[in-house]
Amino acid sequence: MEDFDQILKKIKAELVTAFGDKWKDLSSESKKDIDQFLGDSEDKLKRWTFLLANGAIDLEDYEWLLKSQKDVMLMQALYSAGISKLKIGHLKNKAIKTILSVVKTLVL
Amino acid sequence: MKQIKILFTLIAFSCVFFSCESLKTAIHDQYAYEKTIEIKVEASNLMDKATLPYSSYLKEIGDLGLKIQKIVAYEKDRPNNEITFAMWQLLTDKDKNLLVGFFKRWQAKGQLNEAFVNEAKAQIMEALNLLIQYEVRKDKQSKESLLQLIASA
Repeated sequence: MEDFDQILKKIKAELVTAFGDKWKDLSSESKKDIDQFLGDSEDKLKRWTFLLANGAIDLEDYEWLLKSQKDVMLMQALYSAGISKLKIGHLKNKAIKTILSVVKTLVL
Repeated sequence: MKQIKILFTLIAFSCVFFSCESLKTAIHDQYAYEKTIEIKVEASNLMDKATLPYSSYLKEIGDLGLKIQKIVAYEKDRPNNEITFAMWQLLTDKDKNLLVGFFKRWQAKGQLNEAFVNEAKAQIMEALNLLIQYEVRKDKQSKESLLQLIASA
């Protein structure tokens, strides 16, 4: 089996080729997302590629796992969005207190 | 005059800020938290059996499926609970590669190989942990709000 870093480099190169001209049109945000997917998944990709090379899993299993990683990242995105909402909720409570205090001072 | 201007600004700000429905989040729900942990443990145990024939575990899979259906229906009806419900939708979408997707694959293949089961299970447990952690964070938030309320009373 080739060195995994080489494989990862090839994957990135293939992605650029696969997107073709569209790669240039992709926003830096989208490119960052792809890089992040590869970066965050690196250890798993390494392990799964090793299992594939050893015949412990087949290509179909490998594809299933890759897709599951995309779905886990969607779950993480939802989790992060939820945490942001909770933080905003906390800020709202603080804001209520501040407004009450200001209004009390000004009006009463 | 300046004070009145400040007062009006505050009132206008409050109206916009506090009426924003999309920013509301469901409070912590102990029942949902416990049921999710129960499902995680049962799913984990059942996934370990996926190296054996699917047909030998029809009853257990059916029981787990029913529990999942119940919690999804429950989460759907909780107000301001869109994020948790969306997480459950991902986990239970048979065309995605998470919880229900795993059982669909087990059913299609009859039985799965051990290396795949271990890796797939780790993925699904990671996804379920995010759901559980989110509910835990709601608890922390609820406690902080309660403490604030007590302090201001």
